[in-house]
Amino acid sequence: MQDFLELAVSATASGCIYGLIALAYLLMIRPTGIINFAVGEWAMVAAFGGHLLLSRWEWTYALGMAAVVAFMMLVGWTTERVAVRPLVERGAPILAPILALLGVLVITREAISVSFPPDPMPVPFPFGIGRLEFAGIGGSYQTFFIIAVTLAVFIGAWLFFEKTLWGKSFEAVALNRRAAALMGINLSRVTALSFAGGAGAAGMAGLLVSPNISAHYLMGVPLAIQGFTALVIGGVGRVEGALLGGLLLAFAEQLTARYAPIPSGYTQGVPLLFLMIFLLARPTGLLKARA
Amino acid sequence: MRKLVVALALGALAVGAHAQETIKIGVITDRVGVSRPYSEPNTEGVVFGANEINQKGGILGRKIELLIEDDQSRPDISAALARKLVDQGVVFIISVSLSPAAQQQQTVTMEAKTPQMTPTNSADYLTTQLPNPYFWQTGPLGSIQIATLLSHAKSKNFKRVALITDNSELGQAIAKAFKGTLEKAGIQIVAEEVVARGATTAMPQMQKLRAANPEALFLAGVLTAENVLVFRAYKELGVKFPIHSSYNLSVPVYETVAKGLIDGITFVDAYDPDKPEVKAFEAAFRKATGKDPQNMHGYGYDGIMLVADAIRRAGSTDKEKIREAMQKTNYAGVMGAKGMKYSFPDGKRAGFDPNGMVVRVYEKDKQGRVVHVGQK
Amino acid sequence: MIRVAAWVGGFVALAALPFFLGSYHNDVYRKLLLWITLALGYNFLFGICGQVAFSHFAFYGVGAYSVVILTFQAGLPLPVAILLGVVICVALALAVAIPSTRLEGFYLALVTLALAQLFIVVLNEGGNVTGGAGGIANYRLPLIFGWRLAGPPYTLVVVALLGATLAILWRLDHSWFGRACRAVRDNPEAAAAMGVDVVRTKVIVFTLTSTLAGIAGMVYAFVDNTVNPPIFGIDNAFLILFMVIVGGAGRHAGAAIGAILLFLLPFWLAPVVGHHHQLVFGVLMLAVILVQPKGLIGIWDRCRDRFSK
Repeated sequence: MQDFLELAVSATASGCIYGLIALAYLLMIRPTGIINFAVGEWAMVAAFGGHLLLSRWEWTYALGMAAVVAFMMLVGWTTERVAVRPLVERGAPILAPILALLGVLVITREAISVSFPPDPMPVPFPFGIGRLEFAGIGGSYQTFFIIAVTLAVFIGAWLFFEKTLWGKSFEAVALNRRAAALMGINLSRVTALSFAGGAGAAGMAGLLVSPNISAHYLMGVPLAIQGFTALVIGGVGRVEGALLGGLLLAFAEQLTARYAPIPSGYTQGVPLLFLMIFLLARPTGLLKARA
Repeated sequence: MRKLVVALALGALAVGAHAQETIKIGVITDRVGVSRPYSEPNTEGVVFGANEINQKGGILGRKIELLIEDDQSRPDISAALARKLVDQGVVFIISVSLSPAAQQQQTVTMEAKTPQMTPTNSADYLTTQLPNPYFWQTGPLGSIQIATLLSHAKSKNFKRVALITDNSELGQAIAKAFKGTLEKAGIQIVAEEVVARGATTAMPQMQKLRAANPEALFLAGVLTAENVLVFRAYKELGVKFPIHSSYNLSVPVYETVAKGLIDGITFVDAYDPDKPEVKAFEAAFRKATGKDPQNMHGYGYDGIMLVADAIRRAGSTDKEKIREAMQKTNYAGVMGAKGMKYSFPDGKRAGFDPNGMVVRVYEKDKQGRVVHVGQK
Repeated sequence: MIRVAAWVGGFVALAALPFFLGSYHNDVYRKLLLWITLALGYNFLFGICGQVAFSHFAFYGVGAYSVVILTFQAGLPLPVAILLGVVICVALALAVAIPSTRLEGFYLALVTLALAQLFIVVLNEGGNVTGGAGGIANYRLPLIFGWRLAGPPYTLVVVALLGATLAILWRLDHSWFGRACRAVRDNPEAAAAMGVDVVRTKVIVFTLTSTLAGIAGMVYAFVDNTVNPPIFGIDNAFLILFMVIVGGAGRHAGAAIGAILLFLLPFWLAPVVGHHHQLVFGVLMLAVILVQPKGLIGIWDRCRDRFSK
């Protein structure tokens, strides 16, 4: 039982990371329909940024984190301007920007690869590596930090969509682009914001996960795939779905690894099977969008 | 007219003679793919060694010319590059990329009867799967690593141990070697876990290990990020069984990336910092490049030195003579315990002395002293 | 008549070339032809029928591993192993395609991405059957009628494969089936209204192109006489996609050009940009999509038009 509680905490933290990446996808998919696989590489850039600012130049954590997230939002905005807007304005089919973003994925990864030496780089923990225990639940400081930050981000995103005018215009664009434009919503501004937000979310995920796994240039693709699986499970319709999908995926992965009576190597297949089954049985995900 | 012909002939001779001057040695490395963290320092070691040799006059009076190719960790490209090097007239190919790539290159070198060696790959199957008399492996085999670890732990008399690795091909190969030797020694493996590339935690695997209650954990993984996850889970769960690791832990990156997590971990290494050859190598490397070398550089350096030694003893660049000379190697290099020599007795082609590894312990975050040598 | 002669002449030239090349260039040439074959098949699936999938390379691997395992582990005679390998590819493709093609959009892509990764996991965990992470080496093409095909004569097999693949895809393209595929790509609802069975078309195309990739894999298995997981990794799936897009999706010539360029580029670029050719690929991909979505073949067409004015 103790094992299960510990695992629950660990899976919650992993699920939060997947959820943040899923949120990044979601922020960009909802208003535009564009699937941006480069979110994994964005997380990686943030991780390296964290290494640079926090490990090498030793800024205070809060300042460093804010700077990295702000930088990532700029990266997202720039990506949209350069790789997406020209295509959307030209009326290109939705596949075109998706493929362009695959190009961006490769460019981003290579840019990091040439700027840093090949070894993994350390990223510091904001609160050190102590342990917190209460009510029988224990976890490292970082685990709780991850959960806390993720909750804050998701609450913020939910409030944004539910309560603010900007959020409502996002929803409007997601439902019907043309109608939204006719109502005077600035489509390109919404798109730019969505990419900036997506990059910010992905960057946050990278910053939160990298103290545990270190910053290395191959970390992007696995994160992108895990985040996408979480998105498919949770559904694109609602912000909460991203977090739910992430948690479900992480729990499935870790509970299988711990309790399933199959050789350890095969447990890698679990998330993949999950993805395939979900895609075939319930492609719209668990949570439906609001009508 | 005759003067022109003579001049041209002399000119051609001069060009021909100049072209014959260098001895071409090929290097297949990975500059962009998954084995880059190991291939890069290995290659630097090779380049440094070649420069050193050339400054001392080269081999047989001729300078070494290194032809370095990048196989991007793609084994099919690797094989094509091996052919390219053969066509360009190399007398030896040094492989410092992935193990499967080294194997794929073997299909070429076997056919082209060109000597090939890897100074760093430690997968046992490289010299057993293909009967290639032109291929040698001087990296420390996984089987040697586990045997050394076990002999150090002999006094502890383990009966039940656990094994953990990652899903990289080298991690799997080393785990297989570990398992084979452990089982042959009559030790029961109570748990075997795998941490996949890209995992965010190793908690479930460590919980399973804890439930199995082993006396020790043998670590065979070679992916840094995933190994760090194992250490974190180990610390978080507060388990106490000792960790004995493959030579992967001898790579210095753990000192920065795994701070506070590695104190007390035992690992095998082929680098004894007290060895006089190592001290000389470190000083020379520092002087030439301004950087501190790590053990990966040493593997590459030994590689080029072994090749040069074989060519010297062969007395020519004829590939058959080189092959015979290589097989008779008896050379003390930078890597390995004090007094260890590389050799290929009884027609074997894996040349790292089974007694040539050392066991070291991490003391706080630094690679500490040597606590055991060889397999005695 | 002249067209046929030109084609035949072209293929004879392709077949004769290996006898004039050194072993290195021959090896690169063979692998290039295999990549062109794969790109042609993928172009039909993606460029002509509009289906995004990432399993093309996995089927290449399925074919290669099947023929090796069936011939050398199960001891079956080569022709039986080949036939059985084809059956395996068809069965696997159908198993994937039939459920996924009822979904629109990107779902086939995701299922095939998951499949490609699962394939690698199975290979790595396959123990003695698949050779695990180290793969299988140490086999050679069995004697066919007492003859061992290797070196330049084996390249003829690759050329034949390319020719057969091109012939099949060309014929299909220029038939009503090809038009149906394009209709499915451009506007599935209109296609359905015109009487095209959209789902059946997608399933047929996926199964056909995946099986062609599998057969190419069988040919590949005897090129280096080695199969191991890193060869069939996921990066190659993206590379094939890049090739087809950069060359020009929807056109056979485009696929060929894309394959030639992106396969040979690392070899040419190595002395110039060192190991940053991936960066060049990414930039090329982005540039092509932004500037000339029709790919290089679109640029070629434009130049041709300009000159013919």
